[in-house]
Amino acid sequence: MSARIAVPVFPGTNSEDETLRLLRDCGGNAELVHWSQASNLAHYDAYVLAGGFAYEDRIRAGAIAAHDRMMDSVIEAAGSGKLVFGICNGAQILLEAGLVPGTGSIRRPTAAFTRNAPAPHFVCRHVYLKLAIEPARCAITAALPEDAIVPAWAAHAEGRLAATPEHLREIVAGGHLAFTYAHSTGAVDQAAIPNGSALGCAGLVNRAGNVLAIMPHPERDAWNFNHLDRREGDDVLATSGGSVLFRSFVQALASS
Amino acid sequence: MRAVAISLKIPDNTAFTAAVALRRLGIGVERVERSEIWFFEEEGSALIERITADETIFNPNKHCVTLLDEAVPRSGEVWIEPLEPRHPDPSTSSGEGRRATAWRLFGPNEATLDRESLGAAVERLLCNPAIERAVY
Repeated sequence: MSARIAVPVFPGTNSEDETLRLLRDCGGNAELVHWSQASNLAHYDAYVLAGGFAYEDRIRAGAIAAHDRMMDSVIEAAGSGKLVFGICNGAQILLEAGLVPGTGSIRRPTAAFTRNAPAPHFVCRHVYLKLAIEPARCAITAALPEDAIVPAWAAHAEGRLAATPEHLREIVAGGHLAFTYAHSTGAVDQAAIPNGSALGCAGLVNRAGNVLAIMPHPERDAWNFNHLDRREGDDVLATSGGSVLFRSFVQALASS
Repeated sequence: MRAVAISLKIPDNTAFTAAVALRRLGIGVERVERSEIWFFEEEGSALIERITADETIFNPNKHCVTLLDEAVPRSGEVWIEPLEPRHPDPSTSSGEGRRATAWRLFGPNEATLDRESLGAAVERLLCNPAIERAVY
């Protein structure tokens, strides 16, 4: 039986269906697990935290969810080496839980994906993520080529990485900067960054390489019907779409 | 400088959620009050008139406004302020200058929480020190 992937659904999660569909279309054995079934979560082999507004972002984005009973299982699983992948609000939850960059204590965040700058507004923009680490540094990206470009949609008002200057240096030195924003060509400059994120950060990985948090949504540019370049043939999934990251995730799980 | 607290007069679900989460963390909270603290240079009744006329920050159907005697947190209260100044928002006629979210924590018999318990609540839930500072 193939490894089981849980997509935890907190009150306010809203991207679980497309996340689940893409995991399944990439060959993953994925299921939704609602907050009322929190005790079931421990039985899964990997976790994908989808986007949305868990607990309405009360107090701060991800703050309440990070202390939810469901996260007890996710934190324990991450500690035991299971794969954990967070997207958008899922990424915010992983930061609040202290799982990424993972240099501090559990549930004591050292950084935040916070209010965009300079305009503190919601951004909905097509973006490209450039892999900023060796692919094998993170199990979830291991099947991607070096300097891989992953298309996605940024859809957030609070996606800017913020931390102290010392901690930003620690993030770089520790190899935690997994993805940066880039142009489709791979060029990196300020114009490619939709939210003022420090280091141009679009994603962070923990020290062990089994927890990845990214702000943009690759699942919203994954199938041919929602891929910007629709000339890629008859496959359901766009070969150059955001599904490449999900395929890599499923592949890592199969080989683990 | 004057501090003005704008709070909900309807049930505050966010404050209720915070209370439940804090109890789960082992902090003896019975009730939480939340308000937005705005800081202004101007004084007196004209300030209240201006705030209550500003529909971008005050809705008379759900908000009440209090002019605070002092621009410091009260007993059992913490003010959470962003470390970075907010960028002016032209859509808000009062602008977005210095601002804080106030959390006032009450234990049994409506007694406000002591400083130690308040500190635990701040460290464990109410403040992310990467982006916020706590004043209490």
